[in-house]
Amino acid sequence: MSADPPPVPATAATPGQWRAVLARFRRHRLAAAALVVLVLVALFAFVGPLLWRYGHDEITPDNSQPPSAIHPLGTDSLGHDLLAQVMRGTQQSLLIALTVALGAAVVGTVIGIVAGYYRGTVDALLMRLVDLFLTVPTIAVAAVLGHNFAGSGGGWVLIAVVLAALMWTSVARVVRGVVLGLREREFISAARALGSSDLRIMARHILPNVAGPIIVSVTILVATAILAETALSFIGFGVQPPDTSLGLLVANAQSAVATRPWLFYFPGLVILLIALSINFIGDGLRDALDPTQTKGPRRRRYLAQPAARADAVPDDVLLSVRDLRVVFAADGGDVPAVRHLDLDLRRGEVVGLVGESGSGKSVSAAAMMGLLPPTATVSGSIRFAGQELVGLAEPRFRRLRGSRIAMVFQDPMSSLSPVHTIGDQVAEAVRVHRGCSRAEARERAVELLDTVGIPDARNRLGDYPHQFSGGMRQRVVIAMAIANDPDLIIADEPTTALDVTVQAQVLAALRAVRERTGAAILMITHDLGIVAEVADRIAVMYAGRLVEVGTAAEVFDHPAMPYTRGLLDSVPRIDRPADEELWAIPGSPPTMTALPAGCAFAPRCTVRVPDCSTVVPELVPLTVGHRAACLRLTPGGEPLPEPATTTPIPERP
Amino acid sequence: MEIVGFALRRLLVAIPVLLVSTFLIFLAVAKSGDPLTELRERQPPVPPHTIAAEEARLGLDQPVLQRYWNWLTGVIQGDLGPSVDRNADIGMELGSRLGITMRFVLIAMLIAAVLAILVGVVSAVRQYSWLDYLFTSTGFLFLAMPSFWLAVLLKQGGIELNALAGQTLIYTVGDSSVIPPPTLGGRIADLAGHMILPTITLVLINFAAWSRFQRSSMLDVLGSDYVKLATAKGLRRRTVLRKYALRTALTPLVTVIALDFTAVFAGAVVTETVFQWRGMGDYLLESINGRDVNAVMAWLLVAAVAVVLFNLFADILYAALDPRIRRVR
Repeated sequence: MSADPPPVPATAATPGQWRAVLARFRRHRLAAAALVVLVLVALFAFVGPLLWRYGHDEITPDNSQPPSAIHPLGTDSLGHDLLAQVMRGTQQSLLIALTVALGAAVVGTVIGIVAGYYRGTVDALLMRLVDLFLTVPTIAVAAVLGHNFAGSGGGWVLIAVVLAALMWTSVARVVRGVVLGLREREFISAARALGSSDLRIMARHILPNVAGPIIVSVTILVATAILAETALSFIGFGVQPPDTSLGLLVANAQSAVATRPWLFYFPGLVILLIALSINFIGDGLRDALDPTQTKGPRRRRYLAQPAARADAVPDDVLLSVRDLRVVFAADGGDVPAVRHLDLDLRRGEVVGLVGESGSGKSVSAAAMMGLLPPTATVSGSIRFAGQELVGLAEPRFRRLRGSRIAMVFQDPMSSLSPVHTIGDQVAEAVRVHRGCSRAEARERAVELLDTVGIPDARNRLGDYPHQFSGGMRQRVVIAMAIANDPDLIIADEPTTALDVTVQAQVLAALRAVRERTGAAILMITHDLGIVAEVADRIAVMYAGRLVEVGTAAEVFDHPAMPYTRGLLDSVPRIDRPADEELWAIPGSPPTMTALPAGCAFAPRCTVRVPDCSTVVPELVPLTVGHRAACLRLTPGGEPLPEPATTTPIPERP
Repeated sequence: MEIVGFALRRLLVAIPVLLVSTFLIFLAVAKSGDPLTELRERQPPVPPHTIAAEEARLGLDQPVLQRYWNWLTGVIQGDLGPSVDRNADIGMELGSRLGITMRFVLIAMLIAAVLAILVGVVSAVRQYSWLDYLFTSTGFLFLAMPSFWLAVLLKQGGIELNALAGQTLIYTVGDSSVIPPPTLGGRIADLAGHMILPTITLVLINFAAWSRFQRSSMLDVLGSDYVKLATAKGLRRRTVLRKYALRTALTPLVTVIALDFTAVFAGAVVTETVFQWRGMGDYLLESINGRDVNAVMAWLLVAAVAVVLFNLFADILYAALDPRIRRVR
């Protein structure tokens, strides 16, 4: 009766991870409380009857009694003690529901894994089987079968078998979905390449990885099974008298709601309580198994604290960032993402903003676009063409977006709406900021698509994004970005998601756009090759800070900050011997919640001195326009000794 | 027309599924017992030739495979077979009951879907607001609510309301008044009045799951790159929400509702028994108790065809909403 839970991404399964899952589940207060409630209900149902003075089928002389000290839940018209009956009913319902869930889990998992693993004909056949079960209302078939078995005295086991046979499909669908995605992953291919048998791969490699989704969907299934069993007993085809179930108790109380309300309310509320707790547990498990879905802190509007600025921004500087800070509120405390960023961009200039993922470059871009999520607090100053962007009111920001500042996102596969035509999306970008007619906007869209090199643009306006290749889609996004001749284009990893050959074409399109419109481009990337090709200047970020900035030639020829050097040395190069080992910076970037006290790069640095772990280095001017943040540098002084390899600009193959 | 071809292909795929499912269910019902038990045990005893004639009329003297074949060929020719009840025509009976059931099932689904979209979208857009918390907790409550219990509760509420008012404000029993009002308007009002409580029951138990689903798919879309890009174009938030977010977040719900059709139908069976409607649910229970194979088969056939048609409608709607599906299949 409930929709499928959204699939949980597969989590690799190790004992340590299961401990983490348990810890996350315990932190989910509602789910933990629901588990306690469920355990109490189970104790009530299975231990209670042993301790309680009346049996569920015992007829006491007190008939139709309201709740009292002797009969805490009252009695029915025959004198049955309702507490004893509710305990028995709960026991039957729980037994049935748990058996159903277990049976459905086994059948659904096996069928789901086999269908997802073998695909093709096997999958098609098994999915037809699933269709079969989806075609007919479960309750009708259960009623038919329940009626068949009613005389045979099989009791709860038979009902459980019937319901399990009808309910395994939901588990099978979830499992199949996850396995289909999993099958292409490296560790499965590796196992296959090593000659493991299919059975072994399914049991040893796939099963542990679908355990999460299975646990969640089976938990939810327990609630569904309880509701199905009680409904079945209610219409008379489930548990039969003299035994009882919660559904049967409600059915018997139907006509007496007004006269003996206790008979109706208590059993019904127990069903509600059980189903409610199970759903909460399922919710908690889902969150615990998939940490990426953890709910963020509950704040609704991002905070902006613009800094007063005394300095005059020169006319040729389009964008001037001073002391920009972005902090995200998170469950474990505040996470700084950008720390004291200073950056200038002149009109028509191309600046490459370089850093590893998590270095704060994309967050800086989002701050410039006013697209930070509600959990962010931004402070400092972003001056764009004389206007302060930090704290700018949304309606005014909106007028800048897409007209004077435009953006190109990383993944063209996901940045276009799949259900609107290309023409519609490009023309819309034109129309938002210009009061022109639809026809004019269409003409402009054709022109724009021509500019970025979409062949036969006019005839492709009615096509949808899925009819375009990745590179073509990225050109469409670029066309949208230049629709209103912006002063600044922020390109956030515009080529990362594309094939190498397509990358070059998209870069060429960007260069052409720059020549035609004269827009400044902030090119965010972790790929130094791209920067080398297009950037006038380079800014390097590490752990939310700017660590080096200078002209492309300066930075490539004389990298000053050890991190920049590491980056340059780790680029594969055509001018190095093929057998030379690629250099990799040792260690990994710091966790933003636990930043080292001094220089954030110090723990990975090969030339660090003791001071590095206590003093935060400031940017030191080296030559005109070239600055770097390292304690071992002196203004205008000698470059660092060791591991000095002169590093000419890398060529792209 | 590409959509007609699409629909035809979908129907063709459904045929083998229908064949297998009817066969299995035929076996199950045929094995469920002797429909003539009551006749055989009647006192004073019924003459054996009467029983033999009845057996022949119902085809009970034939092997079960033969009976299925007869049933199948009969159905194809539009004959649903004889009912255990000599005076009943299965087709006529089902026709009128289907009308009674579908009128509240369809209206309930429509209301539940609209409600689910509204609640889901508002919860997602105002995530973590008091409204979201309110909707989320109501959703969880109704997700866990046994449909029959809710139905009885509402029925009791109706009875007490009527008692308070001293007159019948709201009907709590049956699908229409025993003596129908003379005018057409009066008859429609009478039917509508009887539908209120069962419809509310069905809406409440179904909208909860759908609204939870709509909320999470809306949240997914709100975090998507194309919504970000739409914002980066300089569109108003309202336009972004309506044109980009809502439009794409609706498609998954279509599938979920279609898949849930059988569950809604099951809920309708239970709801009907509480409100004593003479609809599909009542007919099913009656036929099962009477071991009336042909009636149960006809019931399941109608239900299965309704499910297939409903899924077909959902597929077509999905294809209309999502251009990616249109050309693939």
